[in-house]
Amino acid sequence: MSGVIDLKVDGDGIAWVKMNDKKNKNIFTERFVKDFLNTMNELENLPEAPKVMVLQGLHDVFSAGADKETLIALTEGRIVVKDLVLSERLVNLEFPVIAAVEGHAMGGGLAMATCCDIVVAARESRYGAVFMSMGFTPGMGTTTLLSELVGPFAASEMMYTAKRYKGSELERMGTNINRIVTKMRVIPVARDIARQIAEKNPKSIQLLKYTLSIRKKKLLMDARLQEDMMHRISFGFPETRGHIDDLYAELEK
Amino acid sequence: MTKDEIIDVIKVVIEDNLDDVNAGDIDPRKSMKDYGANSLDMIEVVSCSMRELNIKVPRAELAELQNIEALADKFLEYKNA
Repeated sequence: MSGVIDLKVDGDGIAWVKMNDKKNKNIFTERFVKDFLNTMNELENLPEAPKVMVLQGLHDVFSAGADKETLIALTEGRIVVKDLVLSERLVNLEFPVIAAVEGHAMGGGLAMATCCDIVVAARESRYGAVFMSMGFTPGMGTTTLLSELVGPFAASEMMYTAKRYKGSELERMGTNINRIVTKMRVIPVARDIARQIAEKNPKSIQLLKYTLSIRKKKLLMDARLQEDMMHRISFGFPETRGHIDDLYAELEK
Repeated sequence: MTKDEIIDVIKVVIEDNLDDVNAGDIDPRKSMKDYGANSLDMIEVVSCSMRELNIKVPRAELAELQNIEALADKFLEYKNA
């Protein structure tokens, strides 16, 4: 029903949530965030709760993260960071979430994957915690949740270098990402895992989710305290605006 | 440094960054796109090559380059500056 997020619940009780803003590469525009939150509300208010959710993006881009206008507004102190709502919403869902990350995931886009329970990534695509290349510190829970997904030392490397790692590279580094497969296999593999989960008793799935998500919720709360403070400082650095312009110029060329 | 040496550096970086490409098979007259590079692959190859060569070329000067050879020419300008 909403514009840039498609929702479909199939006969197995698997909710397929597709971030589908082709024009904007699933960046967090105001509309995207609103549609995403609406879709989550819609899912939670279904008469029969889904057993498991698969979060997917476009074939080429899962999500490119924050939009430039928001970042610029942050450097000018016009708004406060609010992207954390996406992370919070995902972490607090009452059913397990599989991220099927076929395409690139950058910054907040990668953070969204770290908020999921199971991650399937693509060898050909690139994944980057690119915050520092724009002069500000990582957000959306990245400082605590990325190390869960890739291990603490790989997470440090990813955050400090801000490099866009190829899936195959992460595969060699030995992360905690569940599966790194060819792009064409990402959705089938996610579907197979989802079907196996969907066969289980939904009441027990929810119980297990509740237990397993306690740690993630706590990590996200820890992140929020530190990241908010670091953002207030690092978005205020005079250099940050220029770095943001440079990075987007590179991407738009 | 010669242009050929720079091309060799770029070829190795391309091999590292793209799947199923051997440095020896790369024709510098072609574009990285011909070897299956997407836009982020190309950005990564360029930044990795610049680190390798210890140069910094402003992004604006890289925008119009059509093939690997043109990239090497641009790098050469900065390497020997």
